[in-house]
Amino acid sequence: MSQALLLNLLFFLLGLPLVSAMLAQFISEKYRWLNPLIAVFLLLLTTITGISICVAQWNEAPVLLEHTWFSLGNYTITAGFYINNVTLVMVSVVSFISLMVHLFSSGYMAGDRFEKSYYTMLGFFTFCMLGLVLANNILLLFIFWELVGFSSYTLIGHWREKAIAAKAAGKAFVINRIADLGFIAAILILYTQTNSFSLTEVTQLTNEFWRNAAAISLLIAVMGKSAQVPFFNWLPSAMEGPTPVSALIHAATMVVAGIFLLIRMFPLFSPEALDIVVIVGSITALLGALAALHQYDIKKILAYSTISQLGLMLAAVGSGAYGVALLHLFTHAFFKAGLFLSAGAIIHVLHQAQHTAHVHFDVQDIRNLGGLKKMMPITLVCFAICSAALSGFPMLSGFQSKDAILVSLFNWSGNSWRLIFTWTVVVSFVLTIVYSVRMLWYIFFATAKKTSLLRVSEAPGILRIPIILLSLCSLWFVVSVHPLEYNGWLLNSIQPAKHYLFITWLSMILIPTLSVIAWWWYKSKELSRVYPVLKNGFYLDRVYDKAGKNTVLTLAYTAKKSDQGIDGFIHVLAYAQVTFAHLLAWFDKWIIDGGVNGIAWMARQTGALARSFSGGKIQTYIFWTTFTLIIFLFWILF
Amino acid sequence: MQAYLLSLLLIIPLAGALVTLAMPSTSKQFRTIALAISLLQVIVLLLVFSHYSTQQNGLQLIELKPWITLDMGAWGILKANYFLAVDGLSLPLVALSVIVILIAVISSWKIEKSPKGYFALLLILNAAVIGTFCAQDFLLFYLFFEFMLLPMFFLIGIWGGVKREYASIKFFLYTLLGSIFILIVMIALYLSTQSIGDGELIIHSFSLVDMQDVNNIISNSILDPQRNVSILGMSARTWAFILLFIGFGIKLPMIPLHTWLPDAHVEAPTPISVLLAALLLKIGGYGLLRITYPIFPDIALELSWLVALFGVVSIIYGGLAAMASKDLKRLIAYSSVSHMGFVLLGVASVTPEGSAGAIYQMVSHGIISTMLFLLVGVLYDRTHDRMIGNYSGLSTKMPVYFTFTLIAFFASLGLPGLSGFMAELMVFLGAFKSGSTNYLLHESFAIVATFGLVLGAIYYLWTLQRMFFGKFHVKSGINNNLADVDLREKIMLIPLLLITITLGIFPQLLLDFINPFAEAFSSSILESGKTLRALLQR
Repeated sequence: MSQALLLNLLFFLLGLPLVSAMLAQFISEKYRWLNPLIAVFLLLLTTITGISICVAQWNEAPVLLEHTWFSLGNYTITAGFYINNVTLVMVSVVSFISLMVHLFSSGYMAGDRFEKSYYTMLGFFTFCMLGLVLANNILLLFIFWELVGFSSYTLIGHWREKAIAAKAAGKAFVINRIADLGFIAAILILYTQTNSFSLTEVTQLTNEFWRNAAAISLLIAVMGKSAQVPFFNWLPSAMEGPTPVSALIHAATMVVAGIFLLIRMFPLFSPEALDIVVIVGSITALLGALAALHQYDIKKILAYSTISQLGLMLAAVGSGAYGVALLHLFTHAFFKAGLFLSAGAIIHVLHQAQHTAHVHFDVQDIRNLGGLKKMMPITLVCFAICSAALSGFPMLSGFQSKDAILVSLFNWSGNSWRLIFTWTVVVSFVLTIVYSVRMLWYIFFATAKKTSLLRVSEAPGILRIPIILLSLCSLWFVVSVHPLEYNGWLLNSIQPAKHYLFITWLSMILIPTLSVIAWWWYKSKELSRVYPVLKNGFYLDRVYDKAGKNTVLTLAYTAKKSDQGIDGFIHVLAYAQVTFAHLLAWFDKWIIDGGVNGIAWMARQTGALARSFSGGKIQTYIFWTTFTLIIFLFWILF
Repeated sequence: MQAYLLSLLLIIPLAGALVTLAMPSTSKQFRTIALAISLLQVIVLLLVFSHYSTQQNGLQLIELKPWITLDMGAWGILKANYFLAVDGLSLPLVALSVIVILIAVISSWKIEKSPKGYFALLLILNAAVIGTFCAQDFLLFYLFFEFMLLPMFFLIGIWGGVKREYASIKFFLYTLLGSIFILIVMIALYLSTQSIGDGELIIHSFSLVDMQDVNNIISNSILDPQRNVSILGMSARTWAFILLFIGFGIKLPMIPLHTWLPDAHVEAPTPISVLLAALLLKIGGYGLLRITYPIFPDIALELSWLVALFGVVSIIYGGLAAMASKDLKRLIAYSSVSHMGFVLLGVASVTPEGSAGAIYQMVSHGIISTMLFLLVGVLYDRTHDRMIGNYSGLSTKMPVYFTFTLIAFFASLGLPGLSGFMAELMVFLGAFKSGSTNYLLHESFAIVATFGLVLGAIYYLWTLQRMFFGKFHVKSGINNNLADVDLREKIMLIPLLLITITLGIFPQLLLDFINPFAEAFSSSILESGKTLRALLQR
């Protein structure tokens, strides 16, 4: 494709969601039904553009399109696009998932009071996320990185009357901000060392110390955005936002920006730094899966599952197989968005049913659900496909990407201490199967609990279409034609992975077996008690509240106190001066006035002056004393 | 025409003040006059821009006329000039002043208490602020600087809130103290500076340009580095630097000289808060960049770490104090303290990035703080209450107001894509780079300063959460029939919003002006600083 055409298409790609965002603000209340229509249409165009660019540019040499942006010191900073296969995969994923979510939202958010700002922010988010993956330099990338965080903030807090949502939104933003200090530090290091922000130039950094420092700083930023230990607690809280938002931002796109960043900056990471990446990732994978197993809220299960899966992607990058990480990012985007949207459909349908039946219970709590198998068969099929993909069932995309992760991790660890972390990941795989089955069982197959009070029917078509499409995209063929082969169109063009047939065959047998065991286990017993420590996400919230929030607040009040101290000092000073002025006035009145006539004239002047001080104008007094002081100073100096 | 543009910018408001004073106090037209004056200034400003060349470095649009010449016998000849000019430091601040004053006039539209005096003072203040930014002669600068003080004192003391007398006196005392320090240094500098090209008789000079030239230091004068006068164990030059630093630090304000600011802000009426935050604070940063650093580069190199330390402390302490504030206006006042800390840090780095960032931050903070104080004013106009805890769920009642506040808060907390972020980033880059290029500051200064970003996020988002989210509720006794932002308020807010976004996305628009200055500034400080220190060691 010619560069001029490509550039135009890219502007088109970025412009469409932005136009969608702006139009939503300008459409009057009377024509509010137009909002979703326009948004979906524009996003459809975005997706078509995105996928066309992807197809046309696939396997072409990387393209760098840039333009002078501003100059700093003697250096010129450019802004523009950097496009290689990784970018193209991201562009297609982001635009397609965004389209699905827009489509779903048109049913899910219909009649919402703040629909306008919802579509504005959703469009704005899509724009920023596309900008993030296209950016040619690290500063531009960071700008979009923060802007997607801002969109996430406003969308989590979308239901403004819900106080808990606002709290969750703030928490998400602040925790990400803390982690982003790492990003800023990395920018500072890279700029100082290379005098550039350009992705291609900063990754050439040779000084070993600064290279590692930059890599670790970036990792901290990634741990925030991709919800890794110890920053992950913002993600489960973020589930207070509308469910389509969770699907788009908190599962498929924004949270994987961290993985994308790692892939982009991969050359910067030394083997030691990569080991740290695996350690962080594998621990998160395990903890996330453990916590997911002990949640009652559907969205929280999915949130912890996302945390765990993001950990897997980190582990994959750390093992050196960034292509595999991208593959899992790609497959995960579809099945996790599918799961979230299915959950959204269930929530939507149950809410509607509650309205007609005048029964109220928490529809997200799996203890209240059950028996939806007969009521929502299509949703069941989609949900089952997506959760099977999540647990890595053969014939589904999840199997291929997870298989690739396992193989690359075993390659990475060999026979060293690293095996601990590889096995940590294996355990998290097993747990993933268990919580997927648990979720599926209690929502659809268990005997209906409170849902039996409701008359539930299948979700409306507008909600079903995106779910069906997403579960279709969770089948094996999105990765490669061969259902057991992960080196398909994606990996072959980015970074082919090695094979280890033993692992592939073993997991093909083990995963279904384990699923059946888990199924049988949940079938035979009541919903087990959960461990509070896991349900509450290892009390990370409480730790932050106690250690972080309280410390900061104490410091804040100390600052306030010390301000009062400074003021107190100034007041004492002022009173002392006023008192002194009174004394002077007295002295002037009774002693100097009785003196010689010649002096009396002067005394009257100073007296008048001094008397004015007692009226409260001590400032003049200070002025004169200091003036005297200056004269005195000159007198001694010369 | 071109030769008088800057004077015109000063004379217009002064003439306006005279006209205002001549009119009967029953007239209703004071605000119209003030608005017309501001609009005229905008036109003149555009002319200034059209005659200013970004290709050319140094002072432009120079107006230099002899002002005072006095033969003082043994003391030489006293000479002060009427010397106005702009460069990459002055021009952005002059432009900011013109814009902010225009907004302040619109914001004063509903002043009912003796409008004659109010607008007269506003116009005098207007001239003084612009004069301060244009003056290139120390005496002239000082004159304008002091001239700002009185109108401000009365504007707070008469049109302010409940504790207005306390606040205005505190403001006056602090600033006066700063003025005295600056005065002392000015006299010392005057005694130590000659203008070049004269015979045997020494001609003393107040010109800032002369003072910046190492060759103009009169040998054996008090500030001659070779004479090395020592006062209380420190050299006279160090004292002079510190006095200037304190003098401008009070204006900035930096911790611990800042306690006048929250009180002045809380008590001042909205337009005056706007002027105070957007313009008067900038004079502190301007003074550092124009006077303190260029005239004492040797000491600057020595004490930059101290300046940066005060900067970092201001950033962190200001953020913490903002968090503990219960009054919305006080919170924003403290956030100003925090943001002006970035100016200190940027200047202290003596790098092109840092000094450009400092100037960028001054402009950006000028725009953003104007927006913030206007937004507080919007709420205060309706309810006469600013306590954060008295409100909840405002976003459902006033959605447009919420949108403006949301963007203004995020602009202030440094969201990328908005001007504040660009400025702070440049400051960080400069401060961090200083550690490996000119070795003035350790890298940790920049890293610690970044925590200010987290604090900003915390106090702003917490405020949003408390005031705007949740179910709508106001404390009983407060008017709960809240109308959303009206047209006049939108006319003020939207341009500011657009400027913030534009400067956030296209920094080159401003950097075109700032960069030449910033580069010349940092290289000349380093060079002449080294020259002077070499003199000292000889």
